[in-house]
Amino acid sequence: MMILVGILVTLSGFVISVLSLALSSNGTRLAVVVLGIAVSLFGIMGILNRAYLKNAIWKKG
Amino acid sequence: MKIASRTLLTLCFGVLCCWAPLSLAQTPAATPAAVPKAVTDADVAGAPVPSADARSKGDPDGSLTGTASDIAVTDAKKGATIGDLVNQVGQNKIAINFVWTLVAGFLVMFMQAGFAIVETGLCRAKNANHTMMMNFMVYGVGMLAYWLIGFAIQMGGVGAVANLGGTPPLNAEHVITLFGKPFGIFGQSGLFLVHRGTYDVSVMVLFLFQMVFMDTTTTIVTGSACERWKYAAFIISTFLLGAFTYPLFANWAWGGGWLANLGTNFGLGKGYCDFAGSGVVHSVGGITALAVAMMLGPRIGKYERTGKSNAILAHDIVIVLTGCFILAFGWFGFNPGSTLGASGNGSLRIGSIAVNTMLAGMSGSFAAMLYMWIRYNKPDASMSGNGLLAGLVAITAPSGFVNPVASVIIGLIAGVLVCISVEFVDRVMKIDDPVGAISVHGANGLWGVISIGLFADGKSNYGGSWNGVAGSVTGLFYGDSGGQLIAQLLGVATLVGFVFTLSFVFNLFVDWMVGQRVSAKSELEGLDLPEMGALGYPEFELKAEM
Repeated sequence: MMILVGILVTLSGFVISVLSLALSSNGTRLAVVVLGIAVSLFGIMGILNRAYLKNAIWKKG
Repeated sequence: MKIASRTLLTLCFGVLCCWAPLSLAQTPAATPAAVPKAVTDADVAGAPVPSADARSKGDPDGSLTGTASDIAVTDAKKGATIGDLVNQVGQNKIAINFVWTLVAGFLVMFMQAGFAIVETGLCRAKNANHTMMMNFMVYGVGMLAYWLIGFAIQMGGVGAVANLGGTPPLNAEHVITLFGKPFGIFGQSGLFLVHRGTYDVSVMVLFLFQMVFMDTTTTIVTGSACERWKYAAFIISTFLLGAFTYPLFANWAWGGGWLANLGTNFGLGKGYCDFAGSGVVHSVGGITALAVAMMLGPRIGKYERTGKSNAILAHDIVIVLTGCFILAFGWFGFNPGSTLGASGNGSLRIGSIAVNTMLAGMSGSFAAMLYMWIRYNKPDASMSGNGLLAGLVAITAPSGFVNPVASVIIGLIAGVLVCISVEFVDRVMKIDDPVGAISVHGANGLWGVISIGLFADGKSNYGGSWNGVAGSVTGLFYGDSGGQLIAQLLGVATLVGFVFTLSFVFNLFVDWMVGQRVSAKSELEGLDLPEMGALGYPEFELKAEM
């Protein structure tokens, strides 16, 4: 379940960045693209990686 | 005879004037000469050629070889005409570009050997055969996937590649409309290199050059996944990367896709720019490596129960550094070769691109060595090698758009970034990356993409435009308003958000199909015997466990 959430959050970061193209001001575009990148990174590091670390081989001893 | 040779010289001068008006504009004004006499076909046909008698005596100084007699004529009875001469000039230009691109492609192909020994050297001896075989077979598996479908997806709609004579058959891009603008999604010509007239000399040259780039991407993943990746999983994963993931992003960046057209459609600089592939090649490889390494989990013994990371030492640092040199050598094909020519459309920047490449590699290795020396009191060999590669990866995208000072800065940052990123991936994310590929190719690939938006100096001129937008690629530090940086960041967002997701889903599928990881027993024994059936070093005494 966490993996599915992680995939969706990571992909949504990309969608947010693409949506910046609908804006006209470059300043706003920049902020939205950076937000999209941050969301994707959170999906990768904060959700997906954490999901795999939960059952990591080294935690089982 | 004398008059004929003069008229031939006049004609050549006239042709040169047509090809190089800019260079002539730089020369001082000459004394007005007499109006040149119009050249006729008769003048060309009467150009002096060495006699058969003279040629039969040999040509030790080369003065008799390569003369008017070597110009291909359309009508032997008529002899050489002005049309024949002009066609020969055109063919010579394309021939120079073909040879340049092919030789550069051969250099890039040789990088496979560098990757193979870098990765094998960084592994333990008990996995040498397995690691080497993965690096060996990415060439075949990746190429098969790319020939079947990957090339068509990537380049099937690229349109005219002027330096290679036009590539007219590659003209079918699938386009959707978003925000009222056309978004190129994937190419549709070139399946099996025969589909829709793609059995074409220009297309073949383009295929070879692009194929070796794709193979570089696939070989990056094997480094992060080595010592625990099931061989069958590696084969399927590599096929999917070469057939779909890489070509899709490469189409968006290089094949006429939507990222390349951010400039024409949305006024973002010259669109997403990636001269030789920091993003297209290295980030796609590094980000896929992240997805696979995360899924595989760390090698047994890499982390203690407390989470403390243990260093698992390389078995042969000599071949690691030799491999780094081979890669640095191959990079001279990677970056300068990406002009796809040495004649016309600004291709003479190949010298500048080659120098930028070597400077960034130098500063990358220097920065990494200093960082490790200051932080750990020793100049670490493997990290110095990774610093060299990080500098080369980072300069790959901007190499065609920046000056030597910027190249050194980009390399210096890359050298430090790779050390910090390796520590972050290892200690914070707790992802086991035996060769540091996620940091070298993923992190520094992204840095290379961003650096264009900052350091592109606006001095390059590849035929007057880039990605269909007139002018030169210019970054924030050289007067751009920020549009170029946004285009580059959109590329980064696509790599991190889309390419990662696609790679991750593909590898979940592989995991479901055959399982990604070998058994604990095989891993402890070493993968050479259980996976490959033979030891890499049969005469060594190998440890069963680390």
